[in-house]
Amino acid sequence: MINVKNFDIVTPGELLSDERNGGNGTYEEDNKIYSKFLGMIQISDRGISVNPLTGNYYPSEGDDIIGEVTEISSKYWVVDINAPFYTRLDVRDVNFRAELGELDKYIEIGDMIYARVFRVYPNNAADISMRGTRYGKLESKMITRIDSVKLPRLIGKEGAMINMIKEATKCDILVGQNGIVWVDGDESSRSVALSAIKFIDENYVDTDLTEKVRRLLEDVHGKI
Amino acid sequence: MYTERFDKRNFNELRPMEAETGIVPNAKGSARFRIGNTEAVAAVYGPEEVKPRHIEKADRAVILCKYDMLPFSVPDRAKPGMDRRDIEISQVITNALNRAIILEEMPRAMINIRVYITQADAGTRCASLTAASMACADAGLPMRDLVAAVAAGKIGDSVCLDLTKEEEDFHEGEGATDVPIAFLPSKNEIVLLQLDGRVSKEDLKKIVEIGKEGAMKIYELEKKALKRRFSNESKS
Repeated sequence: MINVKNFDIVTPGELLSDERNGGNGTYEEDNKIYSKFLGMIQISDRGISVNPLTGNYYPSEGDDIIGEVTEISSKYWVVDINAPFYTRLDVRDVNFRAELGELDKYIEIGDMIYARVFRVYPNNAADISMRGTRYGKLESKMITRIDSVKLPRLIGKEGAMINMIKEATKCDILVGQNGIVWVDGDESSRSVALSAIKFIDENYVDTDLTEKVRRLLEDVHGKI
Repeated sequence: MYTERFDKRNFNELRPMEAETGIVPNAKGSARFRIGNTEAVAAVYGPEEVKPRHIEKADRAVILCKYDMLPFSVPDRAKPGMDRRDIEISQVITNALNRAIILEEMPRAMINIRVYITQADAGTRCASLTAASMACADAGLPMRDLVAAVAAGKIGDSVCLDLTKEEEDFHEGEGATDVPIAFLPSKNEIVLLQLDGRVSKEDLKKIVEIGKEGAMKIYELEKKALKRRFSNESKS
């Protein structure tokens, strides 16, 4: 017996089903499935899962993330990637030749970097790397933040939402999977893109969000 | 004899309640819970790196909870900072939440919980625990269940739910007995049970039973408050 339906919002400890068909965000006790998070129900062939509506970013291998450099040692940079633990960017994992002991010549404290998570430890700590031509330093003024649980809505189905914002505003947008977003463009179009992102941040549980954002973008564009 | 309550409530009736989440923007999760004239504000930070380092656990997270009564919360000024009572209550809140939060999923991490009492009129530890559990759910921590806590007790020879300060200070007859109880409602598990006063075995059973009824009502309110932020109806 399944007690919930798709898109229901559940709180931790709510009984979901008395079959053993729990997926992500659920736990089993006495052969019953309970919710683990404050989240939204998703029922598929594989079972019931709960997608959390609030919460932290937990790094997983292969994520492209944006982080802020908070500390420099002689062999590595310490980077805040919005996760429970700070991460290290080792001097061997960057895409340029760096001299040991003079790391602040290349990347300084407060700089934003685009990098990849390549190792995750059991306690959700991670190591990141900047190897590869896609990765590098970013202009830190162009950063905005969104909860990482809301990212699926910002990106949309196969990137529909983010591509729409990119096209409408002619901005370069780089979404880190940890919820930090980098927006590049001229002053007015940047503010349009930022307001669209803020709108998604505030209304991310709404249905037909794409349509609403499209209307918002058209509205603001008319005024410019 | 205590035949009618000072505020004319029924013996198994709670005071009017109010709950709200997401009130501290800088915290990962936060909640406010008011029951009668008692109000608690809770904020949750984390999971994050453990400080001080020596309390770190390799296989699970640690909870660091601080309960504090603000100076203006009681008629005569409460001295700021933690006193003996505050430390005890912080500890019982931590113990209750240890059962509620799935700590094994966040090894080597720390969860920081702050609870402040802005108004006190008895039952502050129960209000704090309720607010703290809502804040934890709001912070997106993996949890087995929410915690619903309420004080029950005996005044004179009648069993009562949700005592006020005035009732706690009742001295006629057998005096007042105060029993704070916390439940994991959907698991039917007791995570906090303290007793201040005298009570017989039979009466204690009655008190726990009446407390459970009250806790279920609080649980319904908690669920409603948590879901309210995410339902479409409330926004329009």
